[in-house]
Amino acid sequence: MTEPTYSAVNKDVLKPLFTPSATYMGLLGVVLAGLAWGGYCWAIQLLKGLGVAGYHPPVFWGVYITTFVFWVGIGHAGTLISAVLFLTRSRWRTGIYRAAEAMTIFAVMTAALFPAIHVGRAWYAYWLFPYPNQRQLWVNFKSPLMWDVFAVSTYFTVSTVFFFIGLVPDMASVRDSSKGFTRWLYGVMCLGWRGTDRQWHHYMAAYGFFAALATPLVLSVHSVVSWDFAMAQTPGWHSTIFPPYFVAGAIFSGCAMVITLMLPLAKLFSLERYMHVWHFEHLAKLCLFTGGILTYAYGTEYFIAWYSDNPYEWGTFMDRIYGNYWWVFAMMVFCNCIAPLPWYFKKVRTNYTWLFVISVLINVGMWFERYNIIASSLSHSFDPGAWVYYVPTYIEWGIMLGSFAWFFLWFLLFVKIMPSVAIAELKEAMRPPLKADELAAK
Amino acid sequence: MSVVVPVESVATVEPIKAVYRHLDALLTGIDDLKKAGYRDMTVVTPFPRHEVEEMIYEGRPSPVRWFTLVGGLFGATMAFSLTALTSANWPMILPGGKPVVSVPPFIVITFEGTILWASMFTFVGMMLLARLPARGLPKAVEDDRFSSDHFGIVVENVGAQDAGKIRHILEHSGAVEVSGGGDAHGEDSSHA
Repeated sequence: MTEPTYSAVNKDVLKPLFTPSATYMGLLGVVLAGLAWGGYCWAIQLLKGLGVAGYHPPVFWGVYITTFVFWVGIGHAGTLISAVLFLTRSRWRTGIYRAAEAMTIFAVMTAALFPAIHVGRAWYAYWLFPYPNQRQLWVNFKSPLMWDVFAVSTYFTVSTVFFFIGLVPDMASVRDSSKGFTRWLYGVMCLGWRGTDRQWHHYMAAYGFFAALATPLVLSVHSVVSWDFAMAQTPGWHSTIFPPYFVAGAIFSGCAMVITLMLPLAKLFSLERYMHVWHFEHLAKLCLFTGGILTYAYGTEYFIAWYSDNPYEWGTFMDRIYGNYWWVFAMMVFCNCIAPLPWYFKKVRTNYTWLFVISVLINVGMWFERYNIIASSLSHSFDPGAWVYYVPTYIEWGIMLGSFAWFFLWFLLFVKIMPSVAIAELKEAMRPPLKADELAAK
Repeated sequence: MSVVVPVESVATVEPIKAVYRHLDALLTGIDDLKKAGYRDMTVVTPFPRHEVEEMIYEGRPSPVRWFTLVGGLFGATMAFSLTALTSANWPMILPGGKPVVSVPPFIVITFEGTILWASMFTFVGMMLLARLPARGLPKAVEDDRFSSDHFGIVVENVGAQDAGKIRHILEHSGAVEVSGGGDAHGEDSSHA
């Protein structure tokens, strides 16, 4: 395949913008319906209280926290791809990083809904933040839940700024190819960017620093999320392996979500030239690597539970396999440890259908992994007299469904108003037109 | 590079603009202008090129890094102070001899604060140094081709006696179009 020219890059990437197709409107309709259902379920919960969720002592964390951790995890691939692969100068990041970064931001925006949903009285969610008040009451900075507030809000802020900085030169491309009000609007959004030497000089320096700052951040955020569990003495949670295990899981699920989202995107908007099967193959390899770490971590958890000779720990782990939640455990092992294995064959990981099917399975599996950790540990904790079988209600499932709709809604809006492939960076990776080449050809 | 040059008493002409399709021709143009002693130029490219940066900034790093450092130190101080001072403000003595201001759990928030403020300062530093939102740019850089597939050089503050020479350099470096360089009222904009 010959390399496209610079002007062809602008043309191809800007083509999907603005005018929506019938397929697009159909998708938007489905998403809005899902969002309406989720909103209805949340409204019922706000009116009637948390009793409409399936909580029963001692289980007070359920689908909401599971889904929160799931979305924070999804939000890890984008910054990993844009920051870590930028620092390692991986060429395959250019085609996909913009859409992956957008996915990150929308995933964190989705995750951020859940603390408010989970606390029940959402109008008091601001109590999570430290603010000066007359009683001089402060939040408990020794609590991992507090660390989480800081980690997730820092992550959201930094990745949003990183995303918008990356967009600035491409917004200028949109401005230069449009007219009238659109031209004015994108002119404002690109901050009057012209691509002068001074602008690029400071821009590239800042971009490098953002990448360098985002890299430790991405590793820290899911570590902190894992401490929400690991700092508690609950059997099945209290383990030092949690941070690396969660980070690997986050990257695993995030890369799978990038495949799930970007395959249809590339097909629907004819961007296959820029989001090539080569990119997806690399993502599949990254999934294989992190999935391998995850499988190893699952094994280590069981080994340590047995080796520790702690009856509560071992009891919980046996309960995960043989107890009420055996099907959750089976889903987790099948989707996360076994389903990705066919990707070891090049034929499978370069086939669009298999890429898509396996990536969806991984997402399902990663949701069940968090459910397995949360529901099974809490419903089977220290006091056998209190053991229960927590079953989520339709309200909880409805809000979870609504969160998917909320996420896809933002993504659908993104592909229509922002260039989904980084134009400037794509050109940077191409061979520039040289007069010397033209003379040599003559 | 738009170093502010004091306006000399000699009459200046409107900025001269050269448009290039080839990267090597652009680099020749920059080099020839530098050799002839003209440094007050703005180079416009649709994407960053290290060669251009190297020719103009000659290895001088962007001061953005100082913003990052100061922001990081500020963030670390602020975040640690927030955790430590608020804990000391409400000294809840817990059994087990744990200190009110206990460093290990506060390191997590200090770390997040460091990253947050280093990023914010970097952002502000970039906006200030790159002069964004854009202002004071010569009108000639506003060309739709420069975000697509053309490169450009705009030379400002050219004295009337130098205009011909600069146009000659740019035309011979392989520009596909050279314009400007007429008197400040701008009737001359012939194309090469």
